[in-house]
Amino acid sequence: MEADNTPTDEPTATPVDHGDAADHGQAGHGDGGSDEPTAGDRELHGLLAEFETPGALIAAARKVKNAGYTEFDCYSPFPVHGIDDAMGIQRTKLPLVVFAGGAAGLIGGLFLQWWMNAHNWPWIVAGKPTWSIPANVPIAYETTILLSVLTTFFGMWMANKLPQVWHPYFSLDRFAKVTDDGLMIGIDAKDQRFDLEQTKQLLVAAGATDVEECYRDLRPEATEVPKWIYGAMTVMTVLAIIPFALAAKARRSTSADPHWHIFSDMDFQPKAKSDQAFPEFADGRANRGEIAGTIARGSLDADDAYYRGLRDGQWITDVPADVTVDRDLLARGQGKFNIYCAPCHGYDGNGHGIVPERVAQAGGAWEARNLTAPETIKLPNGQLFNTVSNGYNTMMGYAAQIPVQDRWAIVLYVRALQRGQNATQAEIPAGVQVR
Amino acid sequence: MSATKKLHPDEKIKADKFGGQMFKIGAGVGVVLLGLSVALGAGEGDGWRHFLHAYLTAWSFIFSICIGSLFFVLIHHLARAKWGIVLRRQAEFITGALPLVGVLGLVFMLPVVLGNQNLYYWTVHQLHDSQHPLFHHMHGSGKTGWWLDPVFFFGRYLFYFAVYIGIATWFRKQSLAQDADGDANRSEQMRVWSGLAVLIYSLVTVFVATDLFMTLQPMWFSTIYAVNYFSGAMLATYCVLAVMSMVIQRSGRLQTSITVEHYHDIGKYMFGWTFFWIYTAFSQFMLQWYSNIPEETVWYNYRLFGGWQIVSLVVLLGHWAFPYVSLMTRWTKRILPLLAFFAVWQLVFHYIDLYWNVMPNQQWTMIGKWNMGPLQGPPEAFKVGFRIVDVTLLVGLVGLWLAGVGRSMKGNLLPTHDPKLGACLAFENY
Amino acid sequence: MASAIEAHDEHHGESARASFRGVTRDVSNVALKPIGKWWYPAFGVALMMLGCLVVAVVHLFQYGIGVWGNNNIQGWAWDITNFVFWVGIGHAGTLISAVLYLFRQDWRTSINRSAEAMTIFAVACAGIFPILHTGRPWFAWWMIPHPNDMGMWPQFRSPLMWDVFAISTYATTSILFWYMGMVPDLATLRDRSKDKVRQVVYGILALGWRGSARQWHRYERAYLILAALSTPLVLSVHSVVSFDFATSQNPGWHTTILPPYFVAGAIFSGFAMVMTLMIPARALFNLKHIITDDHIEAMCKVTVATGTMVGGAYAIELFTAWYSGNMWEWFTFKNRILGPYTWAYFIMVSCNVIAPQFFWFKRFRKNMVFVVVLCCFINVGMWFERFVIIVSSLARQALPGQWGYFSPTKWDGLTLLGSFGLFFTLFLLFVRFAPIVAMAEVKAVSPAAHAGKDDH
Repeated sequence: MEADNTPTDEPTATPVDHGDAADHGQAGHGDGGSDEPTAGDRELHGLLAEFETPGALIAAARKVKNAGYTEFDCYSPFPVHGIDDAMGIQRTKLPLVVFAGGAAGLIGGLFLQWWMNAHNWPWIVAGKPTWSIPANVPIAYETTILLSVLTTFFGMWMANKLPQVWHPYFSLDRFAKVTDDGLMIGIDAKDQRFDLEQTKQLLVAAGATDVEECYRDLRPEATEVPKWIYGAMTVMTVLAIIPFALAAKARRSTSADPHWHIFSDMDFQPKAKSDQAFPEFADGRANRGEIAGTIARGSLDADDAYYRGLRDGQWITDVPADVTVDRDLLARGQGKFNIYCAPCHGYDGNGHGIVPERVAQAGGAWEARNLTAPETIKLPNGQLFNTVSNGYNTMMGYAAQIPVQDRWAIVLYVRALQRGQNATQAEIPAGVQVR
Repeated sequence: MSATKKLHPDEKIKADKFGGQMFKIGAGVGVVLLGLSVALGAGEGDGWRHFLHAYLTAWSFIFSICIGSLFFVLIHHLARAKWGIVLRRQAEFITGALPLVGVLGLVFMLPVVLGNQNLYYWTVHQLHDSQHPLFHHMHGSGKTGWWLDPVFFFGRYLFYFAVYIGIATWFRKQSLAQDADGDANRSEQMRVWSGLAVLIYSLVTVFVATDLFMTLQPMWFSTIYAVNYFSGAMLATYCVLAVMSMVIQRSGRLQTSITVEHYHDIGKYMFGWTFFWIYTAFSQFMLQWYSNIPEETVWYNYRLFGGWQIVSLVVLLGHWAFPYVSLMTRWTKRILPLLAFFAVWQLVFHYIDLYWNVMPNQQWTMIGKWNMGPLQGPPEAFKVGFRIVDVTLLVGLVGLWLAGVGRSMKGNLLPTHDPKLGACLAFENY
Repeated sequence: MASAIEAHDEHHGESARASFRGVTRDVSNVALKPIGKWWYPAFGVALMMLGCLVVAVVHLFQYGIGVWGNNNIQGWAWDITNFVFWVGIGHAGTLISAVLYLFRQDWRTSINRSAEAMTIFAVACAGIFPILHTGRPWFAWWMIPHPNDMGMWPQFRSPLMWDVFAISTYATTSILFWYMGMVPDLATLRDRSKDKVRQVVYGILALGWRGSARQWHRYERAYLILAALSTPLVLSVHSVVSFDFATSQNPGWHTTILPPYFVAGAIFSGFAMVMTLMIPARALFNLKHIITDDHIEAMCKVTVATGTMVGGAYAIELFTAWYSGNMWEWFTFKNRILGPYTWAYFIMVSCNVIAPQFFWFKRFRKNMVFVVVLCCFINVGMWFERFVIIVSSLARQALPGQWGYFSPTKWDGLTLLGSFGLFFTLFLLFVRFAPIVAMAEVKAVSPAAHAGKDDH
């Protein structure tokens, strides 16, 4: 659509070309004059000359250029090497544009990965730092190439002003040969030096086997876009809006309908879950208890002293053989005590933990036992262990949460607290006393 | 590409005195600087360890150009390439230095056989003591059993050179003979045999790189190592061809035969091999970095941290980033001073790359009475340890290599009777 | 060549133009004239195979990955084998269209169009498998970085994400490169079409191409740039595929030569596939004077070169496994050769390393039946290469509990068969409707393109 071309006002063009063009039109199309525009409804677009060989085309192109023409082009079924120089075509700047596109791809790819993995959602995977360039190279590399390719592809078409719906030369049957074997030069009538006769002579002198005039049809039915295309475009625009409108509506409203399960996503699985009814079993429960007379692997717990704090039915007063009392064990006991016991019994074991305090604030009256009081001190180790394991009065047992070794560590840490709370001034080493 | 051209009638195609001058200058520089290097090396007092490592680095530089040129010749025949025929004879002359390079290699190969243990760690006798902490590692692999046996190692070295020299000599002789008798059938013969030659060449090159450079740290291994060495060698070869062509043209020879179009293509290959070099280097680094297996990362641990860190960065930026981006445009390839700059630049960085490959291995660690070899202990303790002998050895060996190339440079500087020479002379980039 | 140039002086270029017209006629007729009767049954069979894929995928969606033979030990099996196989097939197309273009191998022009089409269809087949393998493919779009309710982003440090970017970039580039190369030829078809539908469709696709020198100038520059971009791209794509394996710590997968080794294997298998398709196609479409025996010979040579490279990589891997002194590494290779998958290993070696060695000899390269049969062996061999790498490396890992054996189910088989169905369906549509030979490029590299130039 070269509608923006200003009509040429070469004085010689209109009167001379009339009969000539009609001849060509009839010879070229061979379908009578009824469809052909009359002289008043058309204007000269240019001259199209055909040549025999690529070599002749190059030579002719050079002549046309040397004659001072600028608005001309050569047409060939394949790129003719040497013609760029003959026509004086400047090297395209496309590589520079592509380089810029590639640079944008590289920076964009790196930024994408930094922002998403190291900034917005830093998350360490496989021990790799959140921002780890070696692992980011492949994707940055691909985005570089992708953007370079897109720039090349679209940049080339844009520079070539394609896609183009129509061009005046397409109205000449001869022009179809360009995609087959035709080698042609087309000179635009809008060129400053264009003169129908002189230009024609130049082309013939340059070796053209045939020269043809090309006219643009100016009648409304040839230049205006058909009405139905506007109609179709309107309908398609409306149709294209509908999905977005539905999505917008869905975002703004609520629905009582359940989800559509297009893919079930394992939401419905034929299996029984814990503590559900399950009629297939005699007792109607999904859970299967232990089988009578069996002990699960690792649950034998034969050592009474270690697992229950008992020896011959009595609470033990020493420590079981499996417990080695050392600084590490006490440190471990301190840690566990502070986690599990201190909330009620307090960090120093005197019963003033944060829970009784909250109870008091709320107006209640409940106290945790003072673990450093004489009546607790005199309890045997086995009984303390039992209390930690199974609870006492309102205190629950911690056997489920705390492993056996750690429970003994707590017992021994409690002993250490008791010792510490009841130490005399003389027992404190020199240098650590607080005065 | 049907265009052909005849050799320009006034073209000076004879090497004449060019080779002789090259020999004189090269031999002079080489002998003087090698003598100086030996004097410097003797003063080190480290049992020649630094000297041997630096020598191996410099030697691998000239060696890489020779085997790169050999591949250039072979692939030209195999692919029936036209564009580089005007350069092929130069590459053939370079392969003529291979026997000399083989002899120069004896400087570090003979000590291996004669019992100097300061280059290849696996020759250390202590390793064979079953009390040595690495005994099981080395012996469990069976490597020291017979593969890394000094005599077998030396035998392999001789075999590699016999193969290289054999292939190079046959192709050079054929090519020179064609100048004399103009028999086009010789081109066909060379093409037929180039396939097999490339096959043998590739196998030998893989083992050369493994034996001479990878065994410097015998615990470490990488399957792509040889490919990486080869790509560096090819890059260096194209750079040398660019520089050498320019020097020959400045001497008034081959004025019209080698055109800017040929330089453009050399530039393209420099660009291509720069890419392939970083591709193989990155494959090796990234895979070992990502998998994070201690026996592999040890190699990079001492290069990426400590004193060598800066060298790693210099290699990355200097051998890849800067020349890679610069060589993208057609102007760096077509403006000859620029091309010469990048050719020399890449040769310098090829050497730095080899230095970075070899030299960290020269720092051996003692733990108690045991010699633990290279790449042990804290990386921070590793220093680049550059010494002046590194440069004197490089210049000295390059001098001797030039002498070797110059000595073989007799006859025509391009294959005058190659059937495709006409197409090459008319070659144009579009 | 020289004689053709000299001839023009007497014939005033008529012989040159006749040769152009010959190319146009022979290639356009394939798309514009009614197609041979063989096409319909062939298309029917391809559609039936495609149907297998649909059935297999629906079944998979319904029941999950369990329908395949994959298990806890062989977590990756046929699915990923097929993926790597198909991506590899695609690579020859890019190699022919881009790399050989950069190396000015003019013989490529007769086959590059169909090889590029093969690339795109193979990548389409390849793309199916990792997506199916995710288990819930309908969430595959999570791999595309986009703002979402969960506030999550893809994990870019994973080689599997690299795959997403590499394969999608590769698919995009291949399609654009293919299409751009086709535009002048689509214009040729536009100008030769007799019926309105073809005129309109080819007309729209040809974008109003006029073949002007200014257009050709930018077009050629863009073509060169795309070729220069596709070359490192094709190198990166199979390298990234190899990273899926090589970044792991699994012996047999973790080896630094894997990237170039995969690329060489890809080119090798791709060339075999090009020949498998093009030798019958040129007979069916009477294009033997365009896709000549010399072109087939050149491809045979590339095949023997890359096949030998692949063989070399097998050897380097084996040697380094031994040299490394790493017992797990060495065990994996012993197991690969002599373990439960020894049969697969020897199929691989005989098809990939031994079979192509016949191509050293002209006698075999000239026998087209032999070439096709051998190429089929190579296709099988390259499929087995991926199978051996993936399955045999997983079969016996460090713990006895990690020892297992993979047996495919019928659904594995149907999916593989179906992917071939997709490939052949697309390829048959391509040969029916598109310009199967790059006419403009064939003309440009023919001696006639230089007719009448006075500088020689």
